[in-house]
Amino acid sequence: MAVEELRAIIQRCQILEEADFKGEDFNLFQVAGQKCLEDGYAAELLEVIQNEKNKVIIKNMGWNLLSPLVRCIFMYKQEDDKREHCLKILDQLAQLCYPKELFLGLLEEIEQTTQEQVCQTVMLLLQPLQTVLLKLQNKKAYSVGFSLAMIMNQLTPLPVPYTKQQIQEDKLGLCQCCNALVDFAKPFVNEVVENMEMSLEDNEMELKEELLKFCMKSLKYPLLTAQLEQLEGIEEHPFRHFATEIVDVLWAVRELIPLMFLRHKGKTPHWENQEFADIERKDSADSLACLSYLMFVQHFGIDCFPMVFSPSYLLQCNMAHIEVLLKRTEESVLSKGLDLFESCLLRMEDNSLLHHYLEFRDYINVPQDLVKVMTLCPIEHLRKKSLSILQLFIDKFDAEGKYTLFRCLLKTSNHAGVEGYIIKNIKDQIHLSLTKACDNIWFTGHHLISLLDLALLLPEGAETDLLQNSDRIMASLNLLRYLVIKDCESDNHTGVWTTLDKIKQNFLKPLHVGLNMSKAHYEAEIKNKKQNRRESHSSNTVCSVTVSGEKMPAMTTEMQLQVLHSALFTFDLIESVLARVEELIEVKIKAATDENS
Amino acid sequence: MTTDEATKSEGEVQAAALAECGEDITPAGDRGVLKVIKRPGSEDESPMIGDKVYVHYKGKLANGKKFDSSRDRNEPFVFSLGKGQVIKAWDIGVATMKKGEICYLLCKPDYAYGSAGSAPKIPSNATLLFEASRAGELTRGWAHSLLAVELLDFKGEDLFEDGGIIRRIKRKGEGYSNPNEGATVEIHLEGFYGGTRFDCKDVKFVVGEGEDHDIPIGIDKALEKMQRGEHCVLYLGPRYGFGEAGKPKFGILGNAELVYEVTLKSFEKAKESWEMDTKEKLEQAAIVKEKGTMYFKEGKYLQAVIQYGKIVSWLEMEYGLSEKESKASDSFLLAAFLNLAMCYLKLREYTKAVECCDKALGLDQDNEKGLYRRGEARLLMNEFELAKCDFQKVLEVNPQNKAAKSQISVCQKKTKEHNERDRRIYANMFAKFAERDAK
Repeated sequence: MAVEELRAIIQRCQILEEADFKGEDFNLFQVAGQKCLEDGYAAELLEVIQNEKNKVIIKNMGWNLLSPLVRCIFMYKQEDDKREHCLKILDQLAQLCYPKELFLGLLEEIEQTTQEQVCQTVMLLLQPLQTVLLKLQNKKAYSVGFSLAMIMNQLTPLPVPYTKQQIQEDKLGLCQCCNALVDFAKPFVNEVVENMEMSLEDNEMELKEELLKFCMKSLKYPLLTAQLEQLEGIEEHPFRHFATEIVDVLWAVRELIPLMFLRHKGKTPHWENQEFADIERKDSADSLACLSYLMFVQHFGIDCFPMVFSPSYLLQCNMAHIEVLLKRTEESVLSKGLDLFESCLLRMEDNSLLHHYLEFRDYINVPQDLVKVMTLCPIEHLRKKSLSILQLFIDKFDAEGKYTLFRCLLKTSNHAGVEGYIIKNIKDQIHLSLTKACDNIWFTGHHLISLLDLALLLPEGAETDLLQNSDRIMASLNLLRYLVIKDCESDNHTGVWTTLDKIKQNFLKPLHVGLNMSKAHYEAEIKNKKQNRRESHSSNTVCSVTVSGEKMPAMTTEMQLQVLHSALFTFDLIESVLARVEELIEVKIKAATDENS
Repeated sequence: MTTDEATKSEGEVQAAALAECGEDITPAGDRGVLKVIKRPGSEDESPMIGDKVYVHYKGKLANGKKFDSSRDRNEPFVFSLGKGQVIKAWDIGVATMKKGEICYLLCKPDYAYGSAGSAPKIPSNATLLFEASRAGELTRGWAHSLLAVELLDFKGEDLFEDGGIIRRIKRKGEGYSNPNEGATVEIHLEGFYGGTRFDCKDVKFVVGEGEDHDIPIGIDKALEKMQRGEHCVLYLGPRYGFGEAGKPKFGILGNAELVYEVTLKSFEKAKESWEMDTKEKLEQAAIVKEKGTMYFKEGKYLQAVIQYGKIVSWLEMEYGLSEKESKASDSFLLAAFLNLAMCYLKLREYTKAVECCDKALGLDQDNEKGLYRRGEARLLMNEFELAKCDFQKVLEVNPQNKAAKSQISVCQKKTKEHNERDRRIYANMFAKFAERDAK
């Protein structure tokens, strides 16, 4: 019987001195103990362990039981008595064993567990791990840091629950586990905080550094990719709770404000290896961006934040974070970037952002990233949001800033829809300049002319794909029509009459040629298709279209014809607006010459 | 009366008193910021624009509700004065204070958080107005916040956080726009060395090329942080001055500390990278490469770095080039990286030198100069094994390279020396341990 075997070994060891335990004894103890557990004698084993006489033996050998113990605990059902006994054994071991061995044993268990069980294992072992760490004399800071880092590394491959249902279900237990982890860290945080008033000693400094690393790591995973909006029906949102705790820890160890304002000025720790430094910088960029999001969008820890910063300075500090977030493609991260950008912009008044800020690289890069989101992102609500934020960003700038931004976006966006949107914005600004009493030099006269040169042209002359560029072309024509109607040749506020020849040369003329060519081409194509249809009724398709990996149903000849016709319709539309614009120009010029003669 | 009401009436009294006797300190004279000194300063000096100032403060809304206090955070609040980092009332108010002074500032929203407010603590204009109108007869129409500020300390702005250039602004420039590298500037400058003026002139030059006019690199660097019309005093350390060589023309010895007074009269910016098309970038690259080489030959490495750096900033990220353009671009980049590596070697910035070599080798993996220079840099960083590898690769590319051969033997010698030194150190250590154990 397993229990008797164990008792036999114990009896033999009871008379030995601690120093006389041999390797063989350890083995026998482990085998017998394991057998007890496997055969279901947990209660008996507990009794042996609790026996005062066996204290020394357990102190030395107990850690050997850890691995079978964990296995048993997972085997028994929640309400099983045996499970209760096992848990008590675990508790006893944490109290009795030498901390160093048990510490290593516990970490080994966490390291060896499978992905499905990692959260459960961590939650089971955190309490004993904490007990042991608090008992450790030497290298405590290092051990705490090592434990936290190891656990975080084990968790990182797990998917982060995102939808409300996933969060509620918490299939792998990640939500619970994260919060357990913060509780685990609390005594160590308190230790640092208590010694804060005096200058920290090396030990505490080290402990603080380790806790800081843990916070930074948590910000990157799981918080950066987690859903942090308030969810209806979930009172205690686990990730919001976790985020609050992390921010609290940072605040308690007085690193919150320095992180927000000093780190980004290039205070990076020195690594001998450039690669490490790069990784660290990149890692912390993600974490800091997430921290900014928590603070400015979710208002975690905002109570500790100095309220005397100016909104434009806050935007400036956040631009780098926004850039980091918008460069990513995950919905969770992108939407954080957009929210952070929006919240910074909403603090500002319209027209209050000085154009000089565009000299910071981020101020040029971020709108370009925004354009990428609105043109390439597959998620519709993010595309829409990024467009509305672009408008918000434009609105905040002073006239010269808007002017520069328009120039930059026209040159860099490479997307007819966006270009059309910018051209419409230009029109709105011209309208404001012309109708408001205040003279605005940037959207009238010679500055405007150079902007018009960019707006009123066909990107590739007559060869431009008119269909692809129809948004831009229509916006340009609308702008030109507006200018011609609003501004008389005699006033020439906008300067459009000065540059009219150039506009004709770069825009109207090639547009005529392009329209003629395109129409002829499409008409021929239609004729062709119709002919083919009559010749062979079997609709053999030539091309196939794939959208995000999925093959689209083949187009029938009928559908192809429809597309071709709608293209022709677009050309007609462009042509009619073009004709109207040219008519207006002629009328105005004639009126002017009549007046003069 | 509840405590809330008590604080409210306290705020009311203070605000009312301030509105009556406060001094209007706005340049516009619109009573947007009113100041009352509670305790005069201990010294007569006020901070200058751009100075790093340390303050303690407490902020209240018009209804007496406290919204922020640096005392709650147990540490002074630090910011750069006059740079728009903080709400306008502060930039104006703190500039009038003396060291040690405590004062109250009463601010209208235009000078504080404006109509937008600052979520979640500062409500928007409208709410504030409402609260304020309840606060009493005298303050009606005021949508203000009240700040108690104590100026603890201030010091000149350390432009590059290395103590090399300290700036104190005498007169603020207009706007926020700065000359960039390559901008054409017109300045007035006076240079002082040991209390005597050695230079005084009006001069027009291109930022990064000041050396052509006997202007030290620190002025070029500082100009990039100045605004049109700014007048400031610059304290230059030797690295940003005339360096080890000094400037015999002005009778300046090596490693001298200099003081300059500079007024930026006007400037025209160089084009930003995104404003140039590829053709323009390639044309300009040829020009700045020449300039860089000229500086290099004269031993002016910092200036050369600026010129070569331009090529990198223009062309490194350029894409969508035609085949011909891309060839030209690559050859400019390769030359730029190789020359930058050489400059950094001379400047003893070995990590940067290695970085440039890596980039050069990314373009041309068998580049003899790139390999050789990386070897040199690594040798100087005491990475003997890696250095040796580089020199060996040089020999693979060109077996005739004698310099590389001799460098390899240097590497071997150094490795040996190094090992021996280690051995000695450890031997001593072990001997000591053994002794201690014996005792």
